[in-house]
Amino acid sequence: MNRNIPSISKLNNLFLDKELKPSELFEQVYENASFTESILHAHLELFYDEGLENSKKSDERFLKGESIGKLDGIPIAIKDNINVYGYKTTCSSKMLSNYVSPYDATVIGMLKETGSTFTGKTNLDEFAMGSSTENSAYGPTKNPWNPDYVPGGSSGGSAAVVSAGSAVASLGSDTGGSIRQPASFCGVVGFKPTYGTVSRFGLIAFASSLDQIGPITNTVDDARIIFDNIQGYDPKDATSIKPEYTEPKNKKLKIGIIKELMQEGVSEDSQNEVNKVTQLLENSGHEVVETSLPLTEMALSVYYLIAPAECSANLSRFDGVRFGLREPASGSYEMMNKTRAVGFGEEVKKRILLGTYALSAGYFDEYYGRALKVRSKIISDFQKAFDDFDFLISPTTPSPAFKFGEKTENPLEMYLSDLCTIPANLAGLPAISIPTGLSDNNMPLSIQLMGKPCSDYSLLDLAESIEDMVSFNHLPKMTKGDK
Amino acid sequence: MSLKPTIGMETHVELDTESKMFCSCKVVETDEPNISLCPTCLGLPGALPVPNKKAIEYIVMLSLGANCSITKEGMFHRKNYFYPDLPKNYQISQFDFPVGVEGSLEIVIEDSLHTVAIERVHMEEDTGKSIHLGSGRIDSATSTLLDFNRSGVPLVEVVTKPIISSAKMAVAYIEELRQLVIDLGISKGKLEKGNLRFDANISVAEEGSDELGVKVEIKNMNSLKSLEKAIDYEILRQTKMVQDKESIIQETRHWDENKQVTLSMRTKEGSADYRYFSDPDLPNMVINEEFIEISQNQIKETPEKKRKTLLDTGLSLSDSNYLDKGQRWLYELYLSTVKETFDCKSTFNFLTGELQGQMRKAEISELPQWVNSEKLAGLINLFENNEVSFTSAKDILAKLLIEDIDPKSFASDNNLIQSSDNDEIKTLVTSVINENQDIVERLENPEDKLVGFLVGQVMKSSESKVNPGSVKEVLLKELFG
Amino acid sequence: MTKDFNIDDISNLASIHLEEKEKLKLQKDLEIVLEHVDALKNIDVKDEKIDIHPLSKVLELREDESTPSLSHEDAMKNSPETKDGHFVVPPSIE
Ligand SMILES: [Mg+2]
Ligand SMILES: [Zn+2]
Repeated sequence: MNRNIPSISKLNNLFLDKELKPSELFEQVYENASFTESILHAHLELFYDEGLENSKKSDERFLKGESIGKLDGIPIAIKDNINVYGYKTTCSSKMLSNYVSPYDATVIGMLKETGSTFTGKTNLDEFAMGSSTENSAYGPTKNPWNPDYVPGGSSGGSAAVVSAGSAVASLGSDTGGSIRQPASFCGVVGFKPTYGTVSRFGLIAFASSLDQIGPITNTVDDARIIFDNIQGYDPKDATSIKPEYTEPKNKKLKIGIIKELMQEGVSEDSQNEVNKVTQLLENSGHEVVETSLPLTEMALSVYYLIAPAECSANLSRFDGVRFGLREPASGSYEMMNKTRAVGFGEEVKKRILLGTYALSAGYFDEYYGRALKVRSKIISDFQKAFDDFDFLISPTTPSPAFKFGEKTENPLEMYLSDLCTIPANLAGLPAISIPTGLSDNNMPLSIQLMGKPCSDYSLLDLAESIEDMVSFNHLPKMTKGDK
Repeated sequence: MSLKPTIGMETHVELDTESKMFCSCKVVETDEPNISLCPTCLGLPGALPVPNKKAIEYIVMLSLGANCSITKEGMFHRKNYFYPDLPKNYQISQFDFPVGVEGSLEIVIEDSLHTVAIERVHMEEDTGKSIHLGSGRIDSATSTLLDFNRSGVPLVEVVTKPIISSAKMAVAYIEELRQLVIDLGISKGKLEKGNLRFDANISVAEEGSDELGVKVEIKNMNSLKSLEKAIDYEILRQTKMVQDKESIIQETRHWDENKQVTLSMRTKEGSADYRYFSDPDLPNMVINEEFIEISQNQIKETPEKKRKTLLDTGLSLSDSNYLDKGQRWLYELYLSTVKETFDCKSTFNFLTGELQGQMRKAEISELPQWVNSEKLAGLINLFENNEVSFTSAKDILAKLLIEDIDPKSFASDNNLIQSSDNDEIKTLVTSVINENQDIVERLENPEDKLVGFLVGQVMKSSESKVNPGSVKEVLLKELFG
Repeated sequence: MTKDFNIDDISNLASIHLEEKEKLKLQKDLEIVLEHVDALKNIDVKDEKIDIHPLSKVLELREDESTPSLSHEDAMKNSPETKDGHFVVPPSIE
């Protein structure tokens, strides 16, 4: 097998030059999946038949010179909280083990138009709540770099499949870091676009004001191509925007290092990567300065009130009445109570209860209301920072991938692994994680870049120039070499 | 100790839009279950709401019609409670920024005008429908069937201040509100179809006290009759409890149509902590001046305006209110007819009494197209000018309803014109006086009842072809000079 | 503040039945999180407005046009129980 999958642009050229057929690529990717899945458990379901059929349609188009675009014939994996018509959408929950979606998410409809094929649905922390994919009702996903380590989460499956070469790219969703953190742990690129640029219609909501779909890819350019094909105003999503993408004023960029994410609580490993990249940026003529965003330290607290509050209502619809799991009972209320008791895992219950409490009479102002106000302050702090800086840089995660079970005892330990990624969700900013190096134990390290709202394309440009400078070309150990 | 009741009404109005509130499913009126559903109104995972512009126009119209001020920057909230017919287990509603606030409706109770203060008018979505299967008794259901066609239909909730003081006043308020939504053209307004559904919050307190008593909410009244009975019943129940020094519990009761009593609901739905919070799927809603103007321009008629027009014709308040709340064609027919008769009372009486009565009897709901205000005014003028008797007028009307006739020519052709010829009457009077000498001798004054008997005799001998007024005049002159 | 945190009330509001053992663990975890978020109390938010969304955006309304919905079959296909075209649940009234 060949884990070393070319970039989407290269693949497109190979297709155009008739050196490779989309169906051959699909078979190869599928073979990688067959080889790795028994260990990694990254896909929950593989769409072999339909995938192959679609890639053969791509073959035809390339043969006739009628290919649609860069994504024609590209196998993409979909996080299993995004609805694809006719397939199960489980959210890695027992609640939805038998749920077959009767509709396509907007992004799925858009991808279908591009001629891309789907490899299947990927594993996640149940309802996207978690940072290690250990909360999946169907068992955890392993990190392709070392199966003793978590792949991160909640889009752990989507990160692992790209890392392992069992898909060229994948879609994930990011509520507090769920694209960037697993991308970082798996040594791939993870991009969370500006809130509202990619439709949420058909993404099973965790926290509506924070959720955003984005790509996980091998290269920044791949992320750009996927983003280009899924972004855009959607009349079915009232929070969707008609973006006017911005460009930085000068070629010479001013980049801020967030001081609060370069101190105690963030490992030396992670800090070193930022310093390394800073050096490279300065060498190429950009200005990099430390800056303070003091409320960043409050982001985690704000997040763990707002996200649970929204999720407590978003997940009310899982009640056993119209779809999904139903536990037998003699009355409706008992049925709903029992169904939700059996259908949800512990982490999901915890967050629903936390959110219910934060919204309940007498506690609203103290918790949820206060969190919203601090969020406003955080947003305006970022606005001020972007008056001075074109982009901000930080580690993506406080530390590289950890081992299974390492952070499951105390909820706060796990929550802290999203420390660096949460602020971008609170402020709706575009943010990207790119791999930059390896730790002493050969696990990937990364940096995160954040931009002002709608600076997505210029953020990708900067990320790509850093990608070129660091030339990270390591491959996961377990899949290295041929079968 | 004298007790006074205080009532506040909460009314849900189903808007008559093409599509639902937050999705593009068609609003349907059908018994076929679950045929107009999409991921959004079925609460499927991943679906999102997008509000219907027409519904917002309609609620602005209703708010303006109820003299409310419009909240320019509002938002939608989620109201959280678990119930099987509420797909998302939260209802998208409005909390601290309803579309309309601080309004009032003028209502008519018999001969007097009252004002009901409106607290708020807010936008929300309807639930599905539950059918409880079992032995037929609601409290021993074996299972519940759910139809979600109604789920997501736009609903406007209109809440009054607690200032209604009687069941009659509550009924008059609902009648006015119902007429308002019909005249605005924003709802079909059919109570029997559930287009308007109301709850009453009732408390009793000592007369003169500033504080309200413990509030009890009454649900499940689906007609004005049951509303009136339920309120009267509940006032009586609470009054008796206070007098017996029993304490009233704040609860929701439901009107039992069979037993004609209110009963405690005892469902688990009643956890009152709705955890309202702004719906993160919906950005803030701005209703700007332009939008208000567009809505305002769609208001053609309101019951208040119609009532003023009617009062201007000279009609009494209760008669005006009767026409205001009646069918549209009758209101219009009255206005065009009275323009030619200049007699509001007789026009009103003839149209609402004779015309409607005969239509009912003939079982026709629509006037034949040849029956217009010109013909009806002609007919009314005939009997008002004593040219035909009222009995003849009724006959002519009956004929007019089945055949295109001209009332006046018909009267002459059929010899129905009453004579006001004094010579002819004098002859008849003289012969009646002669034939009834015994009665004439017993007459004491012109007010004597026996005068009427003699008039009747004259009418009889003329086969009702003479005008009874003229007869009486001539008769009295002959007898008393 | 954690002393008035009643797990039974909350699970009741959230409609999730909890076993005794579960309650202890959840109660403990929630207290840890609530203690952490208490830090927010030190932030002055007196004059702060409330932002629901990260980007300010005005709600766009949809024209009142109907489009075909899910087929009856697709709408019902995930239902745990149906009868005569209805979804069926155990009695919702006692
Ligand atoms: Mg309501
Ligand atoms: Zn719908």
